[in-house]
Amino acid sequence: MGADLLAGLAAVFEWQTLGFLLAGVALGSVFGALPGLTATMGVAVLTPLTFWLSAEQGLAMLLGIYGGAIPAGGIPAILINVPGTPASIATAWDGYPLSQQGRAGQALGANAIFSALGQLTSIFFLAVAAFPIAAFALRFGPAEYFGLALFGISLMAGVSGRYVVKGLLAGMLGLAVSTVGLDPMTAFPRFTFGQSEFLDGVSFVPVMIGLFGLAEVLVQISERHSKPEVPAGALGRVLPSASEAKTMLPSAALGAGLGTLVGAVPAAGGDIGSVIAWEQARRLSPEKGKFGKGSLAGLAASCSAANAAIGGAMTTMLTLGIPGDAVSAILIGALLIHGIQPGPLLFRDHRAFVFTLVFLMVLAALLVMLLGLLGARPLARVLRVPDPWLWSGVTLLGAVGAYALNNAVVDIWAMFIAGIAGFLLRKVNVPLGPLVLGLILGPMMEANLRRALILSRGDWLGTLTRPIVLFFLLATLASLVLPLIRRRQAESGPR
Amino acid sequence: MNVRDAILGGLFLAAGAALSLGAAALPPGAGELPGPGFFPGTIAGIIVLLACAQLYSAFRDRAGAGPAIGDIRGVGAAAGLLFVYLLLWGTGWFALRTAVYLLLLLRFFGQGWKPAAAVSITIAAAVTLAFQYGLRVSLE
Repeated sequence: MGADLLAGLAAVFEWQTLGFLLAGVALGSVFGALPGLTATMGVAVLTPLTFWLSAEQGLAMLLGIYGGAIPAGGIPAILINVPGTPASIATAWDGYPLSQQGRAGQALGANAIFSALGQLTSIFFLAVAAFPIAAFALRFGPAEYFGLALFGISLMAGVSGRYVVKGLLAGMLGLAVSTVGLDPMTAFPRFTFGQSEFLDGVSFVPVMIGLFGLAEVLVQISERHSKPEVPAGALGRVLPSASEAKTMLPSAALGAGLGTLVGAVPAAGGDIGSVIAWEQARRLSPEKGKFGKGSLAGLAASCSAANAAIGGAMTTMLTLGIPGDAVSAILIGALLIHGIQPGPLLFRDHRAFVFTLVFLMVLAALLVMLLGLLGARPLARVLRVPDPWLWSGVTLLGAVGAYALNNAVVDIWAMFIAGIAGFLLRKVNVPLGPLVLGLILGPMMEANLRRALILSRGDWLGTLTRPIVLFFLLATLASLVLPLIRRRQAESGPR
Repeated sequence: MNVRDAILGGLFLAAGAALSLGAAALPPGAGELPGPGFFPGTIAGIIVLLACAQLYSAFRDRAGAGPAIGDIRGVGAAAGLLFVYLLLWGTGWFALRTAVYLLLLLRFFGQGWKPAAAVSITIAAAVTLAFQYGLRVSLE
């Protein structure tokens, strides 16, 4: 373990890796600070670039983008009341009123500090919890993996908000698309229409670029509205005073804890985590009335929770191979490009690499704080870039990136079709997160179910009643039924 | 009735039926062991059931068609320009084609000739340099 730890640390301190991490944090900050460009979009369109890098360098850049974009999303939320990323929705609730009170600098400073604190807390959770979780998951056989994948997919119903059926339909669409290509057990071609390009299945990264890059641009174009002006003048003091820090710390700690837990739930990310944390901090606060009107405690809770979701999502993704959110879903694709399969075996066979990822995330969090405190003013200026410039850059980078992965024209069309489909689905309120979950978990679910049935010689009952499988099946049932009960209660409540 | 949701339900119903037919054409498996058609067939069945639920809720919905699509002309122009650009992929003159595509896109969205030309040339040059010469990706 000690040797792996040192090897992991040594890999981080190679100058190329540090350079890519720094570049990633800077790029991520720009992606986060610009409303319309998100962390998911940044990681999706830039993943093809990492194909030419080593696994450590590539992941340094992508983790930098991920870690840099979420806190930077708070900058427009605070300055112009427009969240830069979905995770910074709750940041605007207190950040913008603070800005209107002439305390924009203080809000930006708190955003930088407590975002980093949230990230560091969740990375600590990752470092402590991941090895035991992975060790437990090593006991899983094919039947247990099937149960786990089924449970992961069922969670999409719970995180689809009001649109449970639409969320499930999106997940099933993802599962259906995942069956294109050679059958995992018999290598029989399925739904390939005689085209050899489809034998390997639908390329995951181009589809992600389409769903989260092109579709997002089209949604932006369809909902075009004028961007509010960035307030002119000085931002004021950036660092909080000792008494202000004391007020914010309990809320930030609560946010970090809740954000980590929510982030660890498949398909639930910082957007849900920060809203839950803000609400809980408000309920527990002696100054409830100040929340939503410029409360530093409310701001600290939302910032730390939005960022703590990163470590939570990474824990689930690295230990079980199940994405915690859309970004970690794309990171699975990036890891696979480098021949690394996330899951419990990663913690047995590539321990040094796991430590490298943890150290990279710690460094990214520290860089984020530094950049947030020193670079708030230049980042605020980035907000003035006209939207059409961003749209053209993202669509072009998406097309070239999709092609560059395999030098295959079919990947460009996969990106284009996914983009159009993603736009249409977004417009009819179909969430895209479940679709991604279905795409990723489909092959895992099918192959493991069929392997389990071969091992048990077709004994369905015996396969599905193994203790851990049964636990996952019951959890699946609960995750499907509970949102419906809660919805029914909510509908009958006000009467 | 929510027309848009009803159309969505209908499309998924058709997709589920098509997937079901496709899965039925695959080898069924041997004995208790499922074959290549089992998993897509199961998914198809679930899609059909969920699509029926979606149709039912759409017919019961009294909220109407839901929010408008928005600037459909802008979306059509952006998607159409990209479609033509991708159709011409691999026909040579990558940097020039890209600059023209970006120029048309930026002009459509109200950017003046000079800034549109400057931005499109800069982005096209940067992408060509980074991918074609930096990463050695053949874009022609």
